[in-house]
Amino acid sequence: MTAVLVRRGAELLFALLALSLLVFLLTALAPGDPAEEILRRGGVQPTPESVAALRAELGLDRPLFDRYLSWLGDVLRGDLGRSYADRSPVAEEIAARVPATLRLAGAAALVAGGLAVLAALLAVLRPGSPVGRAVALATVAVSGVPPYVVGIVLISVVAVGLRVLPTGGGDGPGAVVLPAVTLGLAGAATLLRLLRADLAHAVRLPFVRLAVAKGLRRRRAVVVHALRVAAPNAVTAAGVMLAELLTGAVVVETLFSWPGVGQLAVTAIRQRDLPVVQAYVLVTAVATVLLLALAELCLAACDPRVRR
Amino acid sequence: MRRHVWIPLMAVLAALLTGCGGQEAAPGSDELTLAAPRDLVAGPEDPYYVHQTLRVWEPLVTVDDRLRPVPALAASWSAADGGRRWTFTLREGVRFSDGTPLTAESVVANVERFLRIAPRQSAFFSLDAGMEAAYGKVDDVRAEAGAVVFTLEEPVADLPARLAGFFSMVQSPRAFTASGGFAGKPVGTGPYTLAEWVKGQRAVLTANPHHHGPAPAYERIVVRVIPDANARVAALRAGEVDGLIDKGALLPAQAPAFAADDTFRVLRSPSVLTHYLTFNASRRPFSDPRLREAADLAIDRQAITGTLLAGTAAPGSAFLSPVFGDLAAPGVTAAYDPARARALVAEAGAPAAPVTILVSSAETGQFPYADIAEVLRTSLAQVGIPAKVTVAEATKAVMEAGDYDVFLSAYSVPNGDADYLFRRFLRSDAAWNVERRLGYRSAEFDRLVDLAATETDAAARRDLYHRIQRLLAADRPMVPLAYQDNPIVTAAAVGGVRQSVAYVVDLGALAPST
Repeated sequence: MTAVLVRRGAELLFALLALSLLVFLLTALAPGDPAEEILRRGGVQPTPESVAALRAELGLDRPLFDRYLSWLGDVLRGDLGRSYADRSPVAEEIAARVPATLRLAGAAALVAGGLAVLAALLAVLRPGSPVGRAVALATVAVSGVPPYVVGIVLISVVAVGLRVLPTGGGDGPGAVVLPAVTLGLAGAATLLRLLRADLAHAVRLPFVRLAVAKGLRRRRAVVVHALRVAAPNAVTAAGVMLAELLTGAVVVETLFSWPGVGQLAVTAIRQRDLPVVQAYVLVTAVATVLLLALAELCLAACDPRVRR
Repeated sequence: MRRHVWIPLMAVLAALLTGCGGQEAAPGSDELTLAAPRDLVAGPEDPYYVHQTLRVWEPLVTVDDRLRPVPALAASWSAADGGRRWTFTLREGVRFSDGTPLTAESVVANVERFLRIAPRQSAFFSLDAGMEAAYGKVDDVRAEAGAVVFTLEEPVADLPARLAGFFSMVQSPRAFTASGGFAGKPVGTGPYTLAEWVKGQRAVLTANPHHHGPAPAYERIVVRVIPDANARVAALRAGEVDGLIDKGALLPAQAPAFAADDTFRVLRSPSVLTHYLTFNASRRPFSDPRLREAADLAIDRQAITGTLLAGTAAPGSAFLSPVFGDLAAPGVTAAYDPARARALVAEAGAPAAPVTILVSSAETGQFPYADIAEVLRTSLAQVGIPAKVTVAEATKAVMEAGDYDVFLSAYSVPNGDADYLFRRFLRSDAAWNVERRLGYRSAEFDRLVDLAATETDAAARRDLYHRIQRLLAADRPMVPLAYQDNPIVTAAAVGGVRQSVAYVVDLGALAPST
């Protein structure tokens, strides 16, 4: 296990370093002159002298590799630079947005997981029941529709039409419901398909049939024993899904004006606020790499076959 | 047993629905919630901290709906020594929100701070080119007998207009740190103070007890930030916000539906924003003035403003829009005459390769530039000038490489400073003209611009600007396509909505409509 950890750790470090270079180049080589963009806020054309002065102040006139090294050094010290838009520290800005993204991701995972487990259990426990079929059908049908459309329908029916929930915004406990449902529905179908297939297979395994034959109630045999055997594929998929949710569901956050990192990224891209875009890409990429490594580690811990 | 499956599910649903409790309680009559596409608070690193719209601070001079300077904190002003010495007398009995009185010294401290920290970027108006126009010729500023006195190196005919708005912001000198940042919250003289700010989400304003004018009708105003245009409209329709304000509050296409609905009130007021077409006259085909004229005549401006911009803009003609008041040249028209355009193309020779219409991808979000460019393409093609549309991320690089023929973009001016537009964009040595390969060289234009800048007689100056615009209408280095309004919308219950040409909505004047 130690050898695995060391090897995985070294691989991870290399991946992160390559990632940082990629992120830096992506933004450093983006077209356009940030100095001019900054000064052009308000729609007024800046003077060439002040553009040159700002370029020097931002260090944009230095060689690319120099800029990478000093940027990497700053990043390792936790300094993600300052926003072009308002000169505020980017690290603080991202940190302020993370709780909202976590809240939305958590709620969405709850909706997706809950729906998938419920529909899979219904399908297996009561094959042919109209409720189970309806839930499964609805989940799969809705997941075929892009979240953007689902979100717009939810906003216009639930928030604008019935006025029972806010259109989003992040204030108040109800605000999370519509964006979480929108995101959750998109994820539920994948989980449902995996879980239902694995569960259908698991209930036919000899040990489950034995348990039932020995007098255990079928419901208990399925929910407690078969579900556990059927879970790994769905759990892996859920891990990947969670990583995606944590990187900020950009479209959904924008649609529901949810104050998470995704919305921050969209605003920053519109304003060409490169340090914020760069930090967003870096943070989410690092988070994804770490989450996937963690998932792999979990699987290795549970299943000896993966360790080799 | 069967129903047991449903118990937890029902419990979860019930918790979700009751826990959220729907929307915030309906605001009382003394509270108002608005939404804007951007954060109108920029924070302590910004030269101004908050946008003028929030009415936390007030300027010395502001502008009316024709960009004419009108008193704000300055009660009056006078020029002496042929425009070399300007004296601004302050309004009496004004206090900052911390209770300290407004003095000439505090105004001087603000001006000195601006001069010290410039050039400095801002989320609103950078202390840069506009700042140079405002303060570039200031030799000395001092407090004399309770008034603020500017001594200039050369005469400036319109100093109050150049100072209007952001560049003459006055806040308590105690609000600033030695390095020119903000020590805490902004401290101004306006009807509101900034009570709370959650960056990128909302600003909460409360009435300023020390305000010199009448107390505002709303004790508390929340301004939410909703960057997405559809989300803004949904929040308004759901009753979560009472109005949408600021630049680009409504997309042109969204305005008609609200205008037709009498539970809402749309205010369509003109803005300083004008859409221009810039020609690349440094290469063929538009180095030929006949083809520039043909392209101009080929465009049906009425169709573009009426349909694509949904009536939120007026067809452009003179270089300066009507918001410049009497500086806008009367009698300059932009005709739509495809037959004459075809004749001109036949005379000059049709270009063999298609011309490039360049659009910035940054601007396609707020205005339907992709559609307008497409209409321009067909219009040009119909008079015999084949064209193609290029949407670019970095238009600057494309233009500097000279790789375009027509550029569609919108420009505004920080205040009513006409000289700024001509000098920065079109003078033979203007950065825009030279670097972007406009290829416009006119000794006559340069001479007139220089004359107008130093002319202190208002009528003579106005005539010079009219001559300049007639010259531009004939030469066509840049042609105005449309004068853009900035439609904003509020629930019908909100009254007193006014908007200046620089998108400033006076929050202090809002009141429940009767």
